[in-house]
Amino acid sequence: MKKELAIKLNNVHKSYFLANGDEVPVLKGINLEIKNGEFVALMGESGGGKTTLLNIIGVLHPLSSGEYYLDGENIGEVQDDFTLAYIRNKKMGFVFQQFNLYLRLTALKNISLPALYAGQERQVREKKAMELMESVGIKNRAEYKPTELSGGQQQRVSICRSLINDPEILLADEPTGALDSKSGLEIMKIFSDLKKRGKTIIMVTHTSEVAKYADRVIFLRDGKVVDNDYKLTSHY
Amino acid sequence: MFLEIIKMSIESLWGNKIRTFLSMLGIIIGVSTVIAVVGIGKGAEQSVNEQFQGLSANSLIIMSSRSRGSTGSSNLKASDASVVKEKAEYITEATSLVRGSETVSVGKESANVSILGIDHNYFDVSNYTLKEGESITEEDIDSREKKVILGFNTVENLFEGDVDLVGQNITIKGKSYEIIGVLDEIGSSFGPVVPDDSIFVPYTTAEKSILGTKAFILLNLTVGSVENVEVATQEVSAILREEHKLKASADDDFRISDAGSMVGAAQESAQLMTVLLTAVAAIVLLVSGIGIMNVMFVTVAERTREIGIAKAIGAKQFDVLSQFLLESVALSTIGGFFGIILGLGALYLINYLNIMLIAYTVIGPIVGFSFSVIVGVFFGFYPAFKASRLDPVDALRGE
Ligand SMILES: Nc1ncnc2c1ncn2[C@@H]1O[C@H](COP(=O)(O)OP(=O)(O)OP(=O)(O)O)[C@@H](O)[C@H]1O
Ligand SMILES: [Mg+2]
Repeated sequence: MKKELAIKLNNVHKSYFLANGDEVPVLKGINLEIKNGEFVALMGESGGGKTTLLNIIGVLHPLSSGEYYLDGENIGEVQDDFTLAYIRNKKMGFVFQQFNLYLRLTALKNISLPALYAGQERQVREKKAMELMESVGIKNRAEYKPTELSGGQQQRVSICRSLINDPEILLADEPTGALDSKSGLEIMKIFSDLKKRGKTIIMVTHTSEVAKYADRVIFLRDGKVVDNDYKLTSHY
Repeated sequence: MFLEIIKMSIESLWGNKIRTFLSMLGIIIGVSTVIAVVGIGKGAEQSVNEQFQGLSANSLIIMSSRSRGSTGSSNLKASDASVVKEKAEYITEATSLVRGSETVSVGKESANVSILGIDHNYFDVSNYTLKEGESITEEDIDSREKKVILGFNTVENLFEGDVDLVGQNITIKGKSYEIIGVLDEIGSSFGPVVPDDSIFVPYTTAEKSILGTKAFILLNLTVGSVENVEVATQEVSAILREEHKLKASADDDFRISDAGSMVGAAQESAQLMTVLLTAVAAIVLLVSGIGIMNVMFVTVAERTREIGIAKAIGAKQFDVLSQFLLESVALSTIGGFFGIILGLGALYLINYLNIMLIAYTVIGPIVGFSFSVIVGVFFGFYPAFKASRLDPVDALRGE
């Protein structure tokens, strides 16, 4: 049975260590809860730790201390590569500001890559990839390489990639940050569409225009949550 | 999945043709060196073995040696062989060989030919076979018959066209000798004796009628068993000293060498050559491995971002490791393959140009190829391992 809470963080701390051994505390006791099916925006001043937090949620980073419940299970201390790779592969989809696509591979191959790591047959994963591309209107760009695509198209490719293994949670770090406002808007339409289809979405953004699409906004300042239920007037 | 990873590896190698080729070059040279070296080394061993064929470890060779300062010639005589055979307890067989050269003529043709005065069992002991005619008998030796057997090449030198040789005569020092047989081709052989270029007469005839004091005497003794070679040497030495009436203070007027240690030494030096050349090849391979490691580090550094992406979308450490490892193995395997072709080509060329005796063995290619795969795994592992342990966020940030 599905738990109501998708993600719960309890007093999460995260420090970086510089080459000279100095400790840089970035997250200083984060508490937050995100329900299944929620669309949450993360905002805050630059350098406030939004990316760091998102990377922790996406298990790209270990946390320094605290508890991280994913589907009710504390995975804060999991270090096993198999489990972490499984979570990144199957449970979460990541969308980056800089797209992070393989420049050597076509859109189709880029999108199917996570399914390859999941051990899916080629026909199955490429069929799924084509369906996803169709749903975001870039089906005719399947054989293009990222360098032959516009920014908005590249971001749609990376959204398709994040969806190929049907994860429940989507993590997006400034997905519109590198796009003009028109393409940004189109990307946000895709996200609200995904929200309607039941995905849990956590998105970092700087602009309230973009944050409007979210159910609520969580504000970070100096490594702490200062407001976790800020509402902006929604577009719909 | 595995196939896809291999395909990706090959694609990325193909995408960097020049670098791929340069890093392969080390492996190619290394593997072809191994193959050439093993071929040449084994060839040398083989040619040593061939040279010494028929010379068993339990034979002793005695030659005349004139002691320094003394003017007198050696007292070694062909007949010493029978004396030794009679008196020495450890010697089971003894034959003498009288060597020299003399002008031989047939009609108007004449040539200086190597003459070998032999015992009746010389052909048997040396494994020489007759193409036609018959061999020299004990009676021929006792009665110093003027009979001669021709070595394979001398026929051509002395006679024109196809003639029935047996029964014909040749002239040596104004005397007529009857040809009683012709030898098969022997090929290369040990020592200064080239049987194909020699003619054979009874040793008594050679010593007394043809060569006289010019004769170079060589006794060939067989020791009953190999363990006794040393005692036999001492025994024979004592017998000959007595026979030659040497004073206790006088040096030997003969030299005894045993074939076993001669063969052993030659084999050892051939083996040493193989070992040395192999060591050179191993160093070349090692250096090429370091080259591969270097290239893999560069590749990993170049693709740090890709590694970060792969991990962010769910690649396991194992996936990353195997991808890079496969790449370096593919690099070295393909290099090894070309190395085999090049190495075999070099051997073929050496053989074709008759530079050296070559042994084609499967050992060379097998060793060379497995070495190249091992080099790929061994030197590719560390860079691949480092790549697989990269932190995804750091990797995404790094260029
Ligand atoms: N690898 C690192 N080593 C040391 N300090 C780091 C490292 N990564 C981030 N930081 C520090 O952590 C703080 C938070 O960084 P983070 O990228 O999470 O901020 P952010 O809120 O996403 O900022 P932005 O809005 O500009 O993207 C920054 O002050 C940064 O200097
Ligand atoms: Mg950020």
